[in-house]
Amino acid sequence: MSDWLGMSAKPMMPRPALKTQVLARALAARRLPRWGLAAAAGLALAVAAGAVWAGLTARRLTTEVARLEDAVRRYQDTLSLIRSPGSRVIHIPVTTGGRVGAITIFADDVSHRWLVACRNLAPNRPDQAYQLWFITETGMKSAAVMPMDSDHPMVMALEMPKDGGHVMGAAMSIEARGGSAEPKGPMVFHMHL
Amino acid sequence: MTQPKRLSQEEERSLIRRLKGREERALGELYDLLAPWVLGLAYRILEDEGEAEEVLSDVFVQVWAHIGQHDAGRGPLVPWILSIARNRALDALRRRRRWWRKAERWQWARAAEELDIVPEAAPHEASVPGWPVHREVQAALAALPEEQRRVVVLAYFEGLTHSEIARRLDQPLGTVKTRLRIAHAKLAEALKHLKDWMI
Repeated sequence: MSDWLGMSAKPMMPRPALKTQVLARALAARRLPRWGLAAAAGLALAVAAGAVWAGLTARRLTTEVARLEDAVRRYQDTLSLIRSPGSRVIHIPVTTGGRVGAITIFADDVSHRWLVACRNLAPNRPDQAYQLWFITETGMKSAAVMPMDSDHPMVMALEMPKDGGHVMGAAMSIEARGGSAEPKGPMVFHMHL
Repeated sequence: MTQPKRLSQEEERSLIRRLKGREERALGELYDLLAPWVLGLAYRILEDEGEAEEVLSDVFVQVWAHIGQHDAGRGPLVPWILSIARNRALDALRRRRRWWRKAERWQWARAAEELDIVPEAAPHEASVPGWPVHREVQAALAALPEEQRRVVVLAYFEGLTHSEIARRLDQPLGTVKTRLRIAHAKLAEALKHLKDWMI
């Protein structure tokens, strides 16, 4: 009811030019939010896309940095074994599947670790793997099982066994894919250091 | 004398439908119907043509932008628009009051109010739709006892709170509330048929 009270005020005829101004402003004000809304939506979309891109990039870079850090650690570890004053280098030519390759062992008696590099070994059959052995005073102890599905070079660091006494040498055989408790398959090399 | 135009409920519904359908011509028609009343109300509150025209412009901007919020079930379009106009005008009045609070110009404004200055541009009845409603509302207002009409005018056209009216009239707050309640009941009864007509 009380809103009808506004009609108690005497009417005033607006200036003729006012209608055009008022309607133009009203219509423009209505259109502006639509345009502004579209612009704001576009801007928000762009910002969101940018944020997603930045997030993905940051995640990719973080992963890449972690990968590189891990690689650097491995290279530093490898280098420390090679440069260790207690390291001896044993180069063992081998023939696998009619292919001439080599096993290179950096044996560090100080840190009791070996760095083993295998180059140009024939790939294993799907049910087989190379297995590296430590020759100790008490017998052969498994050092690593190395399934090779390609002929890419392989490098690995190995801890020497803490039991079994002095490590006297190394051997490699071809065993079942999951490895064996003792050498049963064809011997690739067998060498006392 | 030409009779002022009145809109039936069906015509009002059609106009609202077209406004909600974003038909720009409908806004022009609404302006032709209501601009004199919106401007008159704004002038009645502000007593300044420039400010009243700004209010008129603001009202139509708001109506066009928010016509979708008008709920026909809660009342006709005209009171809704008049309430927007009143609120806009009172906002302007309050801003002005803050600026004038310590100025001598305030005294001039009050003096003009006492003289009940009417704008010169009072149009002829036939040129403005809505005169019958105007006369009915004025008659309902005039039928109120002076003390009731006074509090209604202070509340509606000056936007004063109950406490401010009580201070202005030097009356107890309870008396002001009672007078307002009785006045509104009388006005509601006298004007209840207006819901059947737009203007």
